Formats: sequence, C-alpha cells, structure tokens
Amino acid sequence: MERFIDPCCERCTHTTKTPCKDFVECCVEGPLCHEDEACAAKRKALIDKVAINNKFVIC
Amino acid sequence: MYEKHLMICGATGCLSSNSGKVKEALEAELARRGIKEKYRLVMAGCVGFCEVGPIIVIYPDEVFYCRLKPGDMAELVEKHLIGGEVVERLLYTSPDVEVPGRFYDTIPFYRKQVFNVLRNSGIIDPEIIDEYIMRGGYRAFSRALKMERPQICDEVKRAGLRGRGGAGFPTGMKWEFTMIAPGEKKYVVCNADEGDPGAFMDRSILEGDPHAVIEGMLICGRAIGADEGYIYCRAEYPLAIKRLRIAIAQAEEYGLLGENILASGFNFHLNIKEGAGAFVCGEETALLASIEGKRGMPRPRPPFPAVSGLFGKPTCINNVETFANIPLILREGGVEEFASIGTESSKGTKVFALAGKIRNTGLCEVPMGITIREVIFDVGGGVQGDREFKAVQAGGPSGGCIPAELLDLPIDYDSLTKAGAIMGSGGLVVMDDRTCMVDLARYFLSFTQKESCGKCIPCREGTKRMLEILERICDGSGEPADLDTLESLAFSIKDSALCGLGQTCPNPILSTIRYFRHEYEEHINEQFCRAGVCKALFQYYIDPETCIGCTRCARVCPVSAISGEKKEVHAIDQSLCTRCGSCVEVCPKNSIQITRVRRKADVSS
Repeated sequence: MERFIDPCCERCTHTTKTPCKDFVECCVEGPLCHEDEACAAKRKALIDKVAINNKFVIC
Repeated sequence: MYEKHLMICGATGCLSSNSGKVKEALEAELARRGIKEKYRLVMAGCVGFCEVGPIIVIYPDEVFYCRLKPGDMAELVEKHLIGGEVVERLLYTSPDVEVPGRFYDTIPFYRKQVFNVLRNSGIIDPEIIDEYIMRGGYRAFSRALKMERPQICDEVKRAGLRGRGGAGFPTGMKWEFTMIAPGEKKYVVCNADEGDPGAFMDRSILEGDPHAVIEGMLICGRAIGADEGYIYCRAEYPLAIKRLRIAIAQAEEYGLLGENILASGFNFHLNIKEGAGAFVCGEETALLASIEGKRGMPRPRPPFPAVSGLFGKPTCINNVETFANIPLILREGGVEEFASIGTESSKGTKVFALAGKIRNTGLCEVPMGITIREVIFDVGGGVQGDREFKAVQAGGPSGGCIPAELLDLPIDYDSLTKAGAIMGSGGLVVMDDRTCMVDLARYFLSFTQKESCGKCIPCREGTKRMLEILERICDGSGEPADLDTLESLAFSIKDSALCGLGQTCPNPILSTIRYFRHEYEEHINEQFCRAGVCKALFQYYIDPETCIGCTRCARVCPVSAISGEKKEVHAIDQSLCTRCGSCVEVCPKNSIQITRVRRKADVSS
C-alpha cells in the first residue's frame, strides 16, 4: 500500500467503478469494513511517513 | 520514517527568489553526504512571508529559516540536520524582534494571523492528495453527500460566509438561488481570474492547497444539483494550473470526481479554462462568455447566472477563497467554529496580499474585524524606511483609498464600503508620504480604462474623459472646474455602467477626492505636487544646511545635472534635471528637497 487508493488487502474494493461510501474516512481511520491490524498498520505507515508533527492528522 | 521534513516554499513568490535553486543545492548536499533518504524535501505552498523568501521550515523542530541562498545549504545540513543546532544567522531578524525569530509564534508577522483558508499551505505537499486527506480533506464533502441539498445551503447561510471575490454577497443565499432555479443541467464555476495589481491570494491558495478548492466546488455541486464545474484561471498562473491539473487527476483516480462518487449516485466533472488575462473577465458574466468561447464581455443582469448562466443554464459562481472556506464550514461542527471568528456581519477570516510601501510584503490571513492599523503595522511591520503612512488602497482598481485617520477602521465588508473602499478580493497597497494621490487615481484609472471592454458607453467613454482630466491635472494644466467635472462623471459612470468593472472604476477617484482634495487643489491652483511625483509640478533642490558634499548624488545623476566639489555644498542645474529621483534615493542626509517650480513670472518678479 503506497497510497490510500491502493487496497490494503483483497477485502478493500474501492475503485472508481466500485466506489465505497466510507473511502475518505477509511483512509485515516480504516479499515472500516473489516478488522485487521496489518491493514491498519499499512495506513499508519503512510501517515507516519509524512506527518510533520502530532497535530498534522485531522479526523 | 524521515528524521526531518524540510518544507521549502515552492510558491511563485519564493520560486522567483530562487527557492528552486535552494532546493537543488540542498538535495546535492544531502546526496554528497549520502544521507538523502533520511530527510523529506517538499516544495510546499506559500507560507506568506514573501519579503524574506526563500523560506524553509524544518519539522518537527519548527524552525523557520529565511532569505536563503544555495550557498547556505551546506551549513544548514552540517549544523541543523546533522549537528542538531539551530543556524542562528539564517533565522528571521528585524528591528522589531529582540531575538532572532525561531518560528511562527515569535515572528511578529504571524502573531495576529489565523490560518483557516491557508491551513494546509506550507504544511502539505500540494501535489499529493493523500496529504490533503490526512488533514481532514474531503470529509466535509463525504458528509455533504449524506445531507439533503437545502440542508447544505442552510449550513453555509448559517455560517455567514460572504463571497470573498469582491462584493461580499452571502454565499449560502447564492447557492440557494441556484439550487431552486429550474433546470436539469447546472454548473459550478470557480472564478480564479485574479486581476487586481498586487493581489495574489487566489494564486497562492491554488498553488498551496488545490484540493480545498476542488472540495468546495464538489460540495457546491452537490448542494445546487450540478454535475459539472469549471475553474477559470488566468494563463499567467502556470504553477497554479499545473497543480490544479494534478489535483483533478488524483481526485478522479481516487473516485472523488467522476461518476457515482463514493457510491452516492452523485456525478461531478471538473474542467479548467485558461483565461487570457483580461481584467474584465473577472466579472462573472464576462467570465461565463469567455468559457463559452465568446469574447469576454459582460451582459446586463438580470437574468443572474443563478438562473441563466453558463450556456444559459443555472450557474453558481464563487471565487477561489470562497470555495476554500467551504470544507471548513461543512465539516462536523464547522458552522459554529467558522462563525465564531469575525464580526456580526462579516464572519471568518480574510486573506490579504500586502504590497506597496510596506515592510513585510506577502500574504496574510487575519480574522474579520481586525483593524487596518493592526494589519499594516503589526502584521505588515509598518511602512518601509519608517516613512509616514499616508493611505492604503483596498480592493485594487475597483476599491478606494483609506487615509491615515481611518487606520483604526475594522476590516469588514460594511466598514470598508462606508469608507468609500471595498473589501475586493483582498489586495492592500500601502502608500507613504511620497505617493501622490492624484497620480495614484490616474494610475488606477489608466488601468481600468485600458481594461474596459468598450461595450457600454459610460465606461468606454467616461473612463477616457476622466483619464484625460487627471493627466491634465498631473501635467499642471488642470482647471478649477475639473474637480466638479470629475466627480460628476464619476457618479454618472457608477450609476450607468453595465458591469461591476465600470461601476466601481471611479472609486479610486472619488475616495482620493474625498480624503485628499487638498492635493488636487494644490495641483490645479498652485501647480505643485507635494509628493514629488508629477514631474511638471515640482523641482528638486539641495538643502545647503544639511548637504555634506559626499558627491553621491552627483555620481548617480544620469544627466550630470548635479555639480559641486567634494565636502562642499552641491547644486542642481534645473535646466538639465529630469526629476528621476535617483539623487533622493542615495542622499545619506535627506538633503534633496522638493520645492515649487520657479516659473517665468516668479523670476521676473
């Protein structure tokens, strides 16, 4: 998962053809449709890479 | 994980000051030391303080380095990145700070600013959508998709947002008019045709946070029932257009633009239309004509665009800053938060471009209701060279000048209008005692006269006639009746011109006559320009009491009009002097003074 648009695993189905209503919230707080620590860690890794400080992320 | 993030100002202002070269030098130094992977370098958006660019802010340390040169990068890497020590000599210094400013809190320029619209500028990489999403981006849109359309308009109305492009029309009301207008096809249009001299607020927003504008347009589209939008941006903003194109492509890839967005059934497509730079195309009906491929000329209203706009369809037009405010309002709890800033009738913040004779040129975002004094002296640092503040032109060529006695006027739509100016898009041009107010009116009118599209007679002919009179006054050929004629023409044009450009172009004349009538009278009755600007109406002389004979003036005079021996009083040959002012700039004792022109009649008497 290099970007939020990349699926964290096969359970993420968001694409332009098959959109997910929770995609935006899922980027930072996800995964929302399933529970998986590895999937959550992938998102966190993306955030940690660019968050300049602890006030950076806004939910 | 990076050890540090180096946010380099990559907006047009700092790029002009060579921030691109600074970045190259930084990259080269990191590569030379083999530590490139440890640090993240971002060409970020504008941080506002253009006067001291190029700027780099290092996070998480939050250290603000300014006036950087490529040659500074080796020291920055050696001391700060490797040694963990702040490089004092590259910090902000100024007579108004006791110790070098380390970050926003300690730099006076930032103390009174509130970052709403510029919330992400300088903090995120504007070319990466993920970073906008991390900052809460597209959440307001996601929320709006779950709301009823009238509910969205109602929230914008309750927030009290007024259009940031000029007239300050209530945004929620405009959205509601377009929402209820009958028609299957509707459009959202973003006016990014920023044309006021010295104004660059919209350019900076687009360069620093393009997704905020796209999200605002998406929410508007959802509210009014539009499925297509246009951003009308002048072609001389290439970086803004480049970043917009990237942002639109990313939003499409992420499914935030296109068909069935976020499974809501809502479709929205966005186009960019590059304008050729005509000032009149900032007027909404001329802008729409230009998008349609016609000549950019305004048309009478009604019908207003909300009823019959682009291609004859209901269209909602707002400017860049207005749209950039929308995601703040539509997020959870956003209405109350937005409305908590500002005054009763003017809510939120306003971005201003500070230009002219001000010490801190740049971009600032301040709460509505702040006084002009606070913006010019606390944020802007006062007048350059500690000269006397004379006036500020607010609202560009359509605005008016505000004199020193109104410095404590609060900045809000109604106060500025009462004072004879307008909020406009947010340009503030500061003038000192060396600005001639008659010449200023002439300058702004020459701009609007050249930019007049020529469609209506009051603007086409009236601006020409007013300009002729002003040129005559500046040339020393003014007549006592000219002032009455100017005022009469100005009011006629205001009342009868077709569009906003024509209706507001007399404002600089009316406001300068209102507050600086004595300068007009001096030009006309005494053939004297006290500011030393109108060349036919003054002479320079060297004050023998203060001249120290340093010879600097004689050395810079391009026509060798100044003579005198070293350490002796110098003199100006009036028959040669072109009144270019070069001597004034270099005199260390302020000995070059202005006097009335000695005419033949004076000599004979």
